[in-house]
Amino acid sequence: MAAQLSFAGFAWKNLWRRRLRTLLTLGGITMGIGAFVALVGFSRAFEQEWLRLYTNAGTDIAVVETNFLNTSLNQSLEARIRAVPEVERCMPMIFNLVDLTPDVNALVYGWQANSYELDSLTYLAGRRFQDGKPEVILGNLLADDLKKTPGDTLPIQGTAFTVVGIFHGGTALEDGAVVMPLDEMQAISSMEGKVTAFHVKLRPAPSGESYDAYVKRAEKAIEAAVPGVHADPAADRAANNGLVTLAHSVAWGTSAIALLIGILGIANTMAMSVFERTREIGILRALGWKGGQVILLILTEATALGLVGGLLGIAAGWGGLRLLAALPQTASVASASVSPLHLVESLLIAIASGVFAGAYPAWRGAHLSPVEALRYE
Amino acid sequence: MSSPAKDSAFKGPILEARNLIKTYDDGRVQALRGVDAEIQAGEYVAITGPSGSGKSTLLHMLGGLDTPSEGKVLFRGAPLGSGADLDRFRSQQVGFIFQAFHLLPTLRAVENVQVAMLALRQSGNHRAERAAALLEEMGLKERMNHYPSQLSAGERQRVAIARALANDPAILLADEPTGNLDSVNSAHIMQILRGIQQQRGMTLAIVTHELDIAASAPRHIRIRDGRIEG
Repeated sequence: MAAQLSFAGFAWKNLWRRRLRTLLTLGGITMGIGAFVALVGFSRAFEQEWLRLYTNAGTDIAVVETNFLNTSLNQSLEARIRAVPEVERCMPMIFNLVDLTPDVNALVYGWQANSYELDSLTYLAGRRFQDGKPEVILGNLLADDLKKTPGDTLPIQGTAFTVVGIFHGGTALEDGAVVMPLDEMQAISSMEGKVTAFHVKLRPAPSGESYDAYVKRAEKAIEAAVPGVHADPAADRAANNGLVTLAHSVAWGTSAIALLIGILGIANTMAMSVFERTREIGILRALGWKGGQVILLILTEATALGLVGGLLGIAAGWGGLRLLAALPQTASVASASVSPLHLVESLLIAIASGVFAGAYPAWRGAHLSPVEALRYE
Repeated sequence: MSSPAKDSAFKGPILEARNLIKTYDDGRVQALRGVDAEIQAGEYVAITGPSGSGKSTLLHMLGGLDTPSEGKVLFRGAPLGSGADLDRFRSQQVGFIFQAFHLLPTLRAVENVQVAMLALRQSGNHRAERAAALLEEMGLKERMNHYPSQLSAGERQRVAIARALANDPAILLADEPTGNLDSVNSAHIMQILRGIQQQRGMTLAIVTHELDIAASAPRHIRIRDGRIEG
């Protein structure tokens, strides 16, 4: 039986004739898609962790200044927020990203010892901290990284804190974090009397009013009671807080550059390929291949590069994400999970990149004059 | 062997050139200067003339590879169209054979023959079986899985002939088919082409400047300086 030549097989042979170039092109698109999967996946997981952080603790609203990264509110506003009828609990808090050792940085929260947010943590060892004492509790991931147990000392920004408890919080943002008394956090941050946010837990919504409508009404009431602050629902805060926005921007920006390089790689490969195969395209046209079939052939080759590069990129990106989740420097803010939707999105971007990059070379190939192409040396 | 399945009831010339003019470089170069010619169905014609006379250009026009600047080509009495119509004409009615063989280097002999059939979306099995049968007919049964670089010049031209026959065309157009071959292979290729023309009743037009090959054709179309001579 003679070997069969299919359209796809023909495209494959065309790609494989220049193996090194094809492999390098695949490397480019693999890196682009890998960066997209890892970085955008990382930033989305980061957002989800924030959302879980709020929902696990039961926080309905976060009250902040306009810029969450650099917000600084007077702690004295607490009383005015508490006075709003819909508010059941209002907890002042500070959070910051702090270098604990040259290799490990972590989110550090300053909470009051009676904060309702401490109730959502599961204590694996030791006890809670007490206000006014240099005590901290550590998330279990961070405690493992630092090899700390209750009774050990942990220096933070020049102050020696005693580790009094180890907890499990259910999100990487908590499990990789340090929690200390608010007043201690204010002292080491030179923020006496200041907080970065108030976390608000609302009273149960009145029957007949939806949760969303109730939260919206409460936001307006808080903003009316305390002019100059923003009261945002927890979900919005998770999506729009400065760290998450920064993570999204960096992830999309870096991925876009990497993808652009990948797309240019495919476009260059296909343009070179069409240029080198000018006479062969002339032969195909002489054999009766339609312009559309030549376009289909070249687009098939470009799309195959995008598809294979996309699949390899997904594998590489997933691996990168798992690495980020395992590294001490990023374990506190990264999750190794990738949503199926993100994978589908990545693959579609890879395929679209191939089609986009192959479009002009394909058009050029289809519009070659058969006679001139056959004469091409 | 059957005669071309694409015979029609039309009794006139299968190909007709009417006042073909082909110019290049904004009219500064005139390759054809008003050529009128007819080729009958089943006829074997040699198109002869010195280098640069326009004989290959005429062959390209007749085969729909190129379009005239003025005038028209008729196939069975109907003018050749343009674009997709020309593609269809080339894929279904014409088989080209070139001096330089023009095989695709990355494909085996049997795959080179199948490439022509990909234009017509025939089934994979049909393509493979027909390609194998044609190569066997060309005496290349043992060489069908070789790449062009592994074949001799004569074998490559036989693969090209098999490819030209792949879609069972009514017309074979050969442009200096023996130009790159030694005398033994030239004679073999001409024997094959004549055999195909006679046994299948195909129309065969050969562009050549070799006298002995031209002499084998019952009729000649002589071109000089872009015009029909005599």
